[in-house]
Amino acid sequence: MTTTLVTPEPSATGARPQDRTTPAATSPLNLRASSAVDPAALADVLATAREHAPSADADAAFPTAVLDRLRTTRLLGLVVPTRYGGPGGTVDDVLAVSHALSRECTSSGMIFAMHSQQVEAVVRYGPPRLAEQLLPRIARGEVYLASVTTEVGNGGYLLSAGEAVENLGDTLRVRRMAPVVTGGEYADGYLISMRADAEAAENQVSLVYADAKDVTAEPLGGWNPLGMRATRSIPMRFDGAVPNGNVIGGPGRFREIVTETFGPLAHLGWSACWLGTAAGALARTVAWLRSPAERKRQDLTSDLLRSRLSHIRQRLDLVHALIAHGTAVYKAAQSPQAAPYQLLMNAVKLTASQECLAAVNDLIELAGMRHGYLKNSELVLERAVRDLRSAALNYSNDRLHAVDGAMALLDSEVRFA
Amino acid sequence: MDEQFTAVLRPHLPYLPEDRALAPGDQLRELGLNSMQAIEVLFALEDAYGAAIPDDKLNDHTFETAGNLWEVVAQSREKAGEPR
Repeated sequence: MTTTLVTPEPSATGARPQDRTTPAATSPLNLRASSAVDPAALADVLATAREHAPSADADAAFPTAVLDRLRTTRLLGLVVPTRYGGPGGTVDDVLAVSHALSRECTSSGMIFAMHSQQVEAVVRYGPPRLAEQLLPRIARGEVYLASVTTEVGNGGYLLSAGEAVENLGDTLRVRRMAPVVTGGEYADGYLISMRADAEAAENQVSLVYADAKDVTAEPLGGWNPLGMRATRSIPMRFDGAVPNGNVIGGPGRFREIVTETFGPLAHLGWSACWLGTAAGALARTVAWLRSPAERKRQDLTSDLLRSRLSHIRQRLDLVHALIAHGTAVYKAAQSPQAAPYQLLMNAVKLTASQECLAAVNDLIELAGMRHGYLKNSELVLERAVRDLRSAALNYSNDRLHAVDGAMALLDSEVRFA
Repeated sequence: MDEQFTAVLRPHLPYLPEDRALAPGDQLRELGLNSMQAIEVLFALEDAYGAAIPDDKLNDHTFETAGNLWEVVAQSREKAGEPR
């Protein structure tokens, strides 16, 4: 038997419910937030997310208060390099903040993670003139970017587009409908994927930046889902003309952006959020179990209880380890086109979407009807399980498995990234 | 270290001779405290003193010696009166 005592991270462990006014300054991801993230700013955003999460969920309302705090704290510009006035945050920082936010409100975490992924695309592939105009505004918290990359009936598949960019000389006509635009009504700019031009094949896709002032963005429907309710992921139609220098990475280069940046960052970012949701749920449950009142009622030496907690914790450590490894491989960026690399990034997403949901499902079993299932339970497991149910659908796991199956056949040596 | 502290700890320290008092420098692991029991000791101390020991104190250092553990208990007890 080991005599090593468990050593929780000082600032990141789930405190007792009544202690939660002191939020975690850093995430428990090994990929800890660097000095690019001001702990006080993060604490401010987390407190706002915690306060508004119940009403945002109940009303399926975008968390505007959280977005406001992300603006004023300038966390919205976290990955903007210092030469454009940002703090030069890294992928580790994005994951740490997304994770910490998701412990309070998964929708807010996802909104932040996806925005930061868009900004990273502008940083890495944006034409110099666009970068010089846009990135300082993002750094100042003035621009929340929404993603317009979904097509009707493609299950989130990014690399084909129906409607084409129309070249008008100095400007590009951007006219397109998208079935899912997270936070689209609240965005200050959009990254829109479209067929590169009228003659281009469906798989020649460009990514175009459209400032909100240059396009009309018309909501085409509402949003009343099971979970992730505060993301306000509505269908929208866009129409307008943008400067022809707004094509990120050049015409038809969206595939590279997806392979090198969007894909891995989306999978790592979402997974960090889902892990945050499940970790927050576990932290609240453990704090509840350990409270003096509850431990008089429960037998904390019960083998069943301990076994359940162990299995839940095991699921989260598995996801954490995969995210940490995936992030290290992403940063090394040796061969993003290779099958082992893509299989790993997909495995991060697939595993996180399954294990985090299963962990919270197990927590509900452990906590029982009153504390696990009721909407007004302070453990908030009910919202967590609804939010996490979306994980397998948020870029369909079925589709990823189909891709992975094909790549597994390609990689006869079975190499690992 | 008061008498209550020793009384709470003693059942978890099988290698502490019955006729010997617990000293601040005593290594708890050498006296038989293991990680499975640490959580029981924690709860027993919190119940005995009506205090909540913060998570950031639940580390190797705290559980290393009787004196270290007592220090954390004493600090938590002082704070127990404060609104949390």
